[in-house]
Amino acid sequence: MSLLEIENVTRRFGGLVAVDDVTTRVEAGELVGLIGPNGAGKTTLFNLISGFTALTSGAVRFKGAAIDGSKPHVIAARGMSRTFQNLRVFPNMSVFDNVSVGSVGAMGQSAFAAVFGRRGRSDAISARTWEALERVGLAEQSEELAANLSYGKRKYLEIARALAMRPDLLILDEPAAGLNDSETAELARFIRTLNDDGLAVMLVEHDMNLVMGICSRVVVLASGRKIADAEPAVVRADPAVLEAYLGVDE
Amino acid sequence: MSEITRKGWVVPVLLLVLVFAVAPFTLAQFGKGYFFQVANLVLIFSLLAVSLHLVTGVAGLLHLGHAAFYGIGAYVAALMGTDLKLGFLWGLPAAGLVAALFALVVALPTMRLVSIYFAVATLAIGQMINTVLLNWVAVTKGPNGVMLFSGIKLFGFAVKGPLAVYFVVAVVVVASIWVLHRLSHSYYGNALRSLREDDQCADAMGIDTVRLKIEVFTLSAFFAGLAGALWAYTTGYVSPGDFNFSNSILILAMVVVGGLGSLPGAIVGAVLLILLPEVLRGLGDLRNVMVGLVMFVSILFLPKGLFGEVSALAFVRRNLGVKWGAAPSEREVGWR
Repeated sequence: MSLLEIENVTRRFGGLVAVDDVTTRVEAGELVGLIGPNGAGKTTLFNLISGFTALTSGAVRFKGAAIDGSKPHVIAARGMSRTFQNLRVFPNMSVFDNVSVGSVGAMGQSAFAAVFGRRGRSDAISARTWEALERVGLAEQSEELAANLSYGKRKYLEIARALAMRPDLLILDEPAAGLNDSETAELARFIRTLNDDGLAVMLVEHDMNLVMGICSRVVVLASGRKIADAEPAVVRADPAVLEAYLGVDE
Repeated sequence: MSEITRKGWVVPVLLLVLVFAVAPFTLAQFGKGYFFQVANLVLIFSLLAVSLHLVTGVAGLLHLGHAAFYGIGAYVAALMGTDLKLGFLWGLPAAGLVAALFALVVALPTMRLVSIYFAVATLAIGQMINTVLLNWVAVTKGPNGVMLFSGIKLFGFAVKGPLAVYFVVAVVVVASIWVLHRLSHSYYGNALRSLREDDQCADAMGIDTVRLKIEVFTLSAFFAGLAGALWAYTTGYVSPGDFNFSNSILILAMVVVGGLGSLPGAIVGAVLLILLPEVLRGLGDLRNVMVGLVMFVSILFLPKGLFGEVSALAFVRRNLGVKWGAAPSEREVGWR
């Protein structure tokens, strides 16, 4: 059983087929890259997996259970956490409070427990939040408002918030967008260390170097269809991929 | 594992001394019922502002009908006291529960609405409830209102005199605000704040956003209902005019002037907007212009409020929070 199984997934928007009969999987502990030209359906596929968009047909299974049709918060609580393409932190909350939302989302705290509960649960939420902050190196800025962080730091904040959920699968939507080369390289190393610790990661990316450099397997989408699914070296040499990416006349 | 130390008993003790010793002692020096009436009004509106703070300031839902739930509480307490001869100890919880029940029924269909559409829905509901209070003469006595002469009786003892009534109001308000403080200054409160910031993103963090919105709306109405019962028993008279749209806006103004998202700010706003008209009584009708001017100037120069959210959270953390041993540096972070 794979961690995430995507079977014949299709999504139509009116006449447009955004994702067309895609089948792939993510194994536990794997680092998978999802690439493709603009409009290939990468983000739509992410939204289908995480429950933000409903499937037209097909099936998605996570840890063996069907998750298509489930609400995003249910899927998230099962152990899949995601980041967004256009960087979505909670701007008017402190760095610590931002990350604590991931902890409390995964662990839960009822209104009754917030008022009358014993302190154990709150302390566990605090501990988990600190752990995630230290992991991404933002512990020193814990009291800063998220809006005051630099762009690069906000990227790490978004990842910390996802890590605070202690997910089994982390899906990152264009994590390197807007970063310069050295920041991208640093982020790539960081994602690698997450994966080395056993976390399965799936990432959508435009930056070919990032994907080819760190992923163990690369899935290529073009016009909603899967055109390649193999190791980076194989994908790099695949004529169908070259055609989709670079055009034919070379 | 890191150590956590409980700290910060000074500020709560000071606040309790202020409410239960300094304020009543000072008021008693004047020896007039009028000052106690004003003090009760300050307490009741503090509770209304803090309960609205949870919905509008923390969870970010613009609620334009809060006074209607306050009115439901007042009418439930008053009608139980007169028609059913069930006194304060029955009327108070019943007022909260009935207001919460109404809010739950209203919340189920409206919580999927976003921003301005939600605001208009709450406006409409507030108007509907107010119209019912005004026109359902058989039950609510219509525009004449309900007189409640029985006064507060606790376990067979009549609470007599303005000082004793003040203490009853203060106990209910302080206990309620303590609960609301725990809700807004906790990880539950952080989840509510995430709804305000970006509810789709909160969804991706495993938070059931719709359920949370329904919960917070219902809880807030419960406390508005309690405030209504206190109003009914302290004034002895309820009429529809006390719970109309302009009262909803007054409560909202307290929350905004004090600072959206700030619990201490909501109290500051309530104290200011209740005391100011009383202090300026000598100016006659001009006082309303002055009150408007103060609101206008404060929003112009302090758009984040007199006691804004960032400084309020830092204040609460420092004085009521915990010191978390694992924190790099000696800063206080984390809710208990």
